[in-house]
Amino acid sequence: MALDETVDQSRVSKRPLAKAGLQSERLLWPTKKGVFEEEVESMEDALGLTTLEKAVAWAQTKSMWPATFGLACCAIEMMSIVSSRYDIARFGMERFSSSPRQADLMIVSGRVAHKMAAPLRQVYDQMLEPKWVIAMGACASSGGMFNNYTILQGVDKIVPVDIHVPGCPPRPEALMEGIVRLHEKVLAGVPPAYEIRGVAS
Amino acid sequence: MAYESVPGLVETREAFGETTLVIDPARLAEACLHLRDAEGFNLLIDITATDYLGWADVDVAGYYATAAGRDLNEPAAQGYARVPEPKPKRFSLSYHLLRVDEDSARVRVQVWLDDGEAAETVVPVWPTADWHEREAWDMMGIPFAGHPNLTRILMEDDWEGHPLRKDYPVGGEPVRFSEAE
Amino acid sequence: MATVERGPAIYAGSRIPQPVPTILKADPALEDVLTVNFGPNHPSTHGVLRLIVDLQGEHVVGLSAVIGYLHTGFEKTMEQKTWWKGVTYPARIDYVSFQYNELVYVLAVEKLLQLEVPRKATWTRMALGELARIHSHLVYLGTAALELGAISMFWYCFRERDLVLDLFELVAGTRMHTRYFQVGGLAEDIPVGFYDETRAFCRRMPEALDEYEGILDSNAIWLERTKGVGLLSAADAIALGQTGPNLRASGVDWDLRRREPYLAYDEVEFDVPVRHGGDVFDRYKVRVDEMRESTKIVSQCIDRLEEMQGEPWTSDDRKVVLPPREELHTSMESLIHHFKIVTEGFRVPAGEVYVGVESARGESGCYLVSDGGPRPWRAKFRAPSFAALHATATCSADVAVADLIAVVGSLDAVMGDVDR
Repeated sequence: MALDETVDQSRVSKRPLAKAGLQSERLLWPTKKGVFEEEVESMEDALGLTTLEKAVAWAQTKSMWPATFGLACCAIEMMSIVSSRYDIARFGMERFSSSPRQADLMIVSGRVAHKMAAPLRQVYDQMLEPKWVIAMGACASSGGMFNNYTILQGVDKIVPVDIHVPGCPPRPEALMEGIVRLHEKVLAGVPPAYEIRGVAS
Repeated sequence: MAYESVPGLVETREAFGETTLVIDPARLAEACLHLRDAEGFNLLIDITATDYLGWADVDVAGYYATAAGRDLNEPAAQGYARVPEPKPKRFSLSYHLLRVDEDSARVRVQVWLDDGEAAETVVPVWPTADWHEREAWDMMGIPFAGHPNLTRILMEDDWEGHPLRKDYPVGGEPVRFSEAE
Repeated sequence: MATVERGPAIYAGSRIPQPVPTILKADPALEDVLTVNFGPNHPSTHGVLRLIVDLQGEHVVGLSAVIGYLHTGFEKTMEQKTWWKGVTYPARIDYVSFQYNELVYVLAVEKLLQLEVPRKATWTRMALGELARIHSHLVYLGTAALELGAISMFWYCFRERDLVLDLFELVAGTRMHTRYFQVGGLAEDIPVGFYDETRAFCRRMPEALDEYEGILDSNAIWLERTKGVGLLSAADAIALGQTGPNLRASGVDWDLRRREPYLAYDEVEFDVPVRHGGDVFDRYKVRVDEMRESTKIVSQCIDRLEEMQGEPWTSDDRKVVLPPREELHTSMESLIHHFKIVTEGFRVPAGEVYVGVESARGESGCYLVSDGGPRPWRAKFRAPSFAALHATATCSADVAVADLIAVVGSLDAVMGDVDR
């Protein structure tokens, strides 16, 4: 693995994380599926996807283009997920599409003011199905630390949300986890949020 | 003091190393022009509007309690050690000025206004006041006489009410499992 | 120091539009004027700024900016929180150079309290503040170059930016919005590895800056797109309330760290870069030069801080600062103080104060009014980006629509700062 030459090689550990003491279900028991993967698998069996649907879902996840919807601080962390260290291009998602017509995923990153709610809904409406929404950060998920006259208490009040990513702001790895879980949901055949639920009250 | 010749000067206060000049609102633009041209305060840093509704009716002086008594179970209800001095009017507008020069200086110009009383615009003096005054109008409802474009800037154009006033509620939703629910 | 005359003719020859300084009004006699909306959601990554632009062909003949799409109500919300809890809010105002907002709030509260802060805290605040300035300028450079088509710069700048965020994570536990400054000093002591890591970063940074200048400074396209574009004269800059790099690129030698030193800026050596062109290129150059100076300041701070290991990092005024946790087991008074500070909050004497610091965007200020209670009566943040956007109309006279992006990018406005 080629590391950035700015990193001092003598400081890079060659030990796997498990040997360093990391206790994690995935590492301790590589053959055991985590709770999430088990749920996803059972849904997969229950929904009974055909090979064609599985192929389509695979294609959708491998190149899910996000729409540029950076609002506030979370947008800066979203920009760092695009940068070379937390490379999102390995998921095929480096092409942030400014035109919502060509975007599949709206990552709402940042606090949504009431004034911005209408443009946000407009951009969401302009996206073509199938489309997914990730509410990145505490402000997009629930209003965050702002409970006042101007901040929407959760973007799921106006658009149906598939994945909420907690954090203020979430680390790039946390957003990556959210994106990977979205991919797993899609691969399992879970419909996008607008088909299974509407907006919150 | 160097600022005796400012027109409309009502009072000069010094605190925390800062000079505050309280100006008569009727002569605000004149005073600002004098400060810019004769004193050299060429940069307007900020215009802040403050609402002092409910300031003086805090509690009884000299006793750690409110006028209604003392409630040990409510945090922050112990009252204040000293009653803050009452303010002359409801709103204050503070203009923070800066002299960008070898001998730099800062000064704060303050005017006191009632609800609905308009202040003179200082956009002809410092063009940067345009958006600051719009924000003061939007957030506090202080009208500025002579402003070329006094419209809402931070809230939507058809918003009702002025959010930063003390009688405007904070808004938001009640949080589950908190006493506000 | 560029001379700015005192006198009534101070704005003669000004390009500031009349009658509204922030709106460029299209001449009604012009034909074929197309009004285009650069809506709040657009690819140029400043955030949610809306520009309503009148175009005649490619030329901008009218411009007005609509803001407020990120209005968060910081000031109203902070009036509900205690002074202590309120320190989490300012960082989110200017979310790219977040340490400065925390710093200015904390300095303002300490000024009201007349609280002495130990020198270790002062020097650490300086070091982290300068790292935040480097972070902010890297984000500016990456995104400004990205918008003009120099996409490689984005990758380069964000590589170094991740190094800065690693340092923040090392010292404060989180990459952004560190909440490391608190009233009285710092939240925690500086961990041991910080000094070596920061020195490695300070060795790396000048090489990285040479790389950036190597990419851009002799690139014909970059020069064509930034030189002579978005002109702002010194008098106009002062009239429009510009501070920081926007002002220094127009020829005015004004830096709060030099003129009104706060923290310990009078004890470190650094230069203040000033350029006289007032165009996009000069604003870019001023920021790159500032990054070099910031690196110098950081390495000087680290050298001083290493001598201060073992010193207290926060004031020991128990009425304001939480006592160390070990004391809570043995001292009744510490327990009471902890309880009072956490539940009710410490009380700040009545008064009003304004503190300004030189943030990455200009003078960031905090005006606090206290009524003697545990919560602020009024907390106002002077946003340098708010003032920076005032200059959009002035800088955009006679530009083409492609230059508009360069101009808005060079003013380096962060919408959280503008809308608060």
